[in-house]
Amino acid sequence: MKSLFNYQVSDPLPIREWVPSHVQIRQYAEASGDFNPIHLDDNYARQVGLGGMIAHGMLTMAQMAVMLTEWIGKEGRISKLEVRFEQVVRPGDKITFSGSIRARSENIIECDIEACNDKEEIVLTGLVHIKQE
Amino acid sequence: MIGKEFIGRESESVVLKIRSEEVRRFAEAIGISFDGEVPVTYVGTLLQAKIPGFELTDPGMVHGEQKITYQRPLSLGDSLTYKRRIKDVYERTSKLGKIMIVVLETTGYDLACELVFSSSSTLIIPVKEATNEESV
Repeated sequence: MKSLFNYQVSDPLPIREWVPSHVQIRQYAEASGDFNPIHLDDNYARQVGLGGMIAHGMLTMAQMAVMLTEWIGKEGRISKLEVRFEQVVRPGDKITFSGSIRARSENIIECDIEACNDKEEIVLTGLVHIKQE
Repeated sequence: MIGKEFIGRESESVVLKIRSEEVRRFAEAIGISFDGEVPVTYVGTLLQAKIPGFELTDPGMVHGEQKITYQRPLSLGDSLTYKRRIKDVYERTSKLGKIMIVVLETTGYDLACELVFSSSSTLIIPVKEATNEESV
């Protein structure tokens, strides 16, 4: 496997796929304490104009972090993670996480990150700073 | 309805210990096997510090942005003091109509009062035009 030290600017990061389920969203609500009914009650989510239940943004962000953490391994750690939730994510959506190296300095790798759904809509964009250990 | 008068309001400081069983539960919920590490977004669960008069239950509120910065990684057994603060509130017109943007900041310190992490959540709340509330 390619070491973190060998990545160069514009190199792509590994890709990760994820399909949120109703069960996982419920589990996340319980583990995080975020019981906003837009994540748990389909009728409520429709009433407030969301067109149905949506996954927690923080659950999608957590999946992005999983992709990054698996890629980084023990060679570094995330010192900054910033995301913008561009579109809602719904149970059953197939989400693909990706990214590329934007810049690197002596001990920080900066990457652009993104997630798309199966309709090729961008659902999340952001950036991450990885501090090399 | 939240307005600009909420800017600067903050919670009491809450002391908490990063506990293995809670982190394990979080790891399982996000679909990974717990390996003793604290997932980066775990700080998003620090919601117990209540800001007076502010509840995260406005109908239709969604999460717009999230930023997390670590001065050092969190470890199991760490004791933290954290608090939440309303950093900004402003109104904007989007393609979906008027929206209220609330920026919430969370900061966590260790027992030596050293900053461990800071995070910022941008929340989007639809504004009901029919209520004819005066915007500030």
